[in-house]
Amino acid sequence: MGLNINKIREDFDILKKKINNKPITYLDSACVSLKPRQVVEKINSYYNEFTACGGRSMHRFGNRVTDEVEKSRGVIKKFINSKKENEIIFTRNSTEGLNIVTKSLELKKGDKIIQTDKEHNSSLLPCLVLKENGVLHEIVKSNDDNTFNLENFENKMDKSVKLVSVVHTSNLDGVTNPVKEIIKIAHDHNALVLLDSAQSVPHKDIDVKNLDVDFMAFSGHKMLGSSGTGILYGKEHLLNGFKPFLIGGETVTDSTYNSYTLEKIPHRFEAGLQNYAGIMGLGEAAKYLMRIGKSNIEKHETNLNKRITEKLIDDVKIIGPEDSSLRGGVFNFNIEKTDPHELALMLDESENVMIRSGAHCVHSWYNAHNLDGSARATLYFYNTEEEVDRFVEAVKKVSKLLL
Amino acid sequence: MICLLALIVFGVLGIFSATHRIIAKEALDCVFRRVTLRKCTTGLDKRLKSQITGKLMRSHPKTAKTVYKNFEIISWFFTLVLIWSLIQSGISGYNYAIYGNCNGKTNGEEFCVFDPAGKGKFSTLASNYSGPVVFPDIDDDPSIGPKDAPVKIIEFGCFRCPYTKKAEETMKQVLDYYGEDILFVYRDFALSENHPHADVHAEAVNCALDQEKYWEFKNYMFETQTTMESHTVEGMKKLGEEFGLDTQKFNKCIDDRDYKEEVENDLIAGIKAGVYGTPTFFINNKTIVGPRDFKTFKKIIDEELEEWD
Repeated sequence: MGLNINKIREDFDILKKKINNKPITYLDSACVSLKPRQVVEKINSYYNEFTACGGRSMHRFGNRVTDEVEKSRGVIKKFINSKKENEIIFTRNSTEGLNIVTKSLELKKGDKIIQTDKEHNSSLLPCLVLKENGVLHEIVKSNDDNTFNLENFENKMDKSVKLVSVVHTSNLDGVTNPVKEIIKIAHDHNALVLLDSAQSVPHKDIDVKNLDVDFMAFSGHKMLGSSGTGILYGKEHLLNGFKPFLIGGETVTDSTYNSYTLEKIPHRFEAGLQNYAGIMGLGEAAKYLMRIGKSNIEKHETNLNKRITEKLIDDVKIIGPEDSSLRGGVFNFNIEKTDPHELALMLDESENVMIRSGAHCVHSWYNAHNLDGSARATLYFYNTEEEVDRFVEAVKKVSKLLL
Repeated sequence: MICLLALIVFGVLGIFSATHRIIAKEALDCVFRRVTLRKCTTGLDKRLKSQITGKLMRSHPKTAKTVYKNFEIISWFFTLVLIWSLIQSGISGYNYAIYGNCNGKTNGEEFCVFDPAGKGKFSTLASNYSGPVVFPDIDDDPSIGPKDAPVKIIEFGCFRCPYTKKAEETMKQVLDYYGEDILFVYRDFALSENHPHADVHAEAVNCALDQEKYWEFKNYMFETQTTMESHTVEGMKKLGEEFGLDTQKFNKCIDDRDYKEEVENDLIAGIKAGVYGTPTFFINNKTIVGPRDFKTFKKIIDEELEEWD
């Protein structure tokens, strides 16, 4: 069943906004997605109806918060099809989840981490830090069209590899890596796999049981939730072996002046007062996405990306494969002799078309390719054909001026 | 170059707003980098360029393209204009501090932004005098108040000058307020170049002195300044008649130009004292130019009285 975009857009008040009497065209959802009314209302309900501490206070407001947070956990469990709810840890964002895993594994000198050459700084940097302790770090070079090279990956694998920390769908070019195969190969070598799924979970059906992934981190703000929310999924037995590096309120069951007893997972990883409103909103966002259906979302974005690619292929240099079906909802590009920042600023200023420009937190890739940056339009299910046509026309118009 | 322009503009706006202060700091960093032959890394130049041309694109795409292509030249132009404006503002500020008027001593009647009410305006005399400054004395001109008063005010005024007329009310207030503490002398500074027959007016008022009606006729002259149908010799005679002077005596005094030398001497004395416009007041050894308010006079007079005590 296709998407009823007009009906969906009714849920997004921000899309009715006009600037200088022109509608806005928001094409930066890979950075932050827009929020439907249902999510905003859910977040507001915490502040308007039952503001309280969760998991501590026994009064009716406190109990309601505890109940709502655990309901959200249950929704997320269903959303990614994990075995148990205690495998779902609420975090602030993907970055926090990726840091928790990379640091908690306590890798030793000589242990090896494998990553792709398109890792987001949030995934790359925690691994680079470990190099200072003698941990080895190797990069799997992509194919020329930026798709994953499974052969290169296999060649890198050996007994010393303890962690394969890879991006699931790249925010650079929208390419989705063959993680099922990657996980299989890694497990064959007794290595654990951590997925950066910030760009895949909002757009694709994800089944962690089927993938057999060990850890997976993603953000709420890219999937209709509020900023400051994220999820770390981890297999129960692995999480149980972790020592949390951030501890305090709600992470212990007891403490003396000399000792403490850690809470069970996932609470031992959720230190301090949580972003209850955000967590509730994230649960609501997951429900909203499940109602729409991720396969519908993916299909819609791919169609829109195909439309853009066909219309702009002769005018721009696309980052990633030319085949739009391999790039999901990401259209990352450069126009020869033009500065991507100037392009993005002028699209916004003249046509209300909002895209992102720069190195998109993948500086390492841009440095390796001697590029300062690029302009990136990213799609989501609420975008329309009319909007992408507006974007295409605007790019053509602005590029004429810049050249 | 846009960064320098932004630094100046946002630097000024930053005095009043924290948001603009941040942009000014960015601009400063950018300018510093450019001066030290490094690339501006803040992106401010690109941001400003793109935002300006982007805005223009909405309504004037061709103009936007021209602006974009020639942005550096346009930035230079506006920067130079801005620097020129700042220099002019500095000069105006200096003039205001020294002469009480932004336009200096040669354009006393022009508008001054620091003085919108025009309290510092004066009628100008273009003088070529380059000799030593000679402080004026009371001469034999008519005066009000005791000769040994602690504060001597010598006014150089012109009967046809609107600013001298404007100062009349203030001087009346000053004399009423300070009474015996002030010796007030009015000396003629007839600006005939700007106001035709100004010398005739001055001579005519002096003629009233012969009939001991100097101060009264002086007041009458200023009162009728704007309504006078004619500023000629005949006009003066008609005015004397209306006022009730002995016309025979008065008209003869005017026709014979009895006070020609007196009026000329006053003008020379004024020029030697550095007077460049009317009204000019010498309050002991301090000077006020233009029809300032009572508070300005009071401040100086009080200081003089305090010093005298």
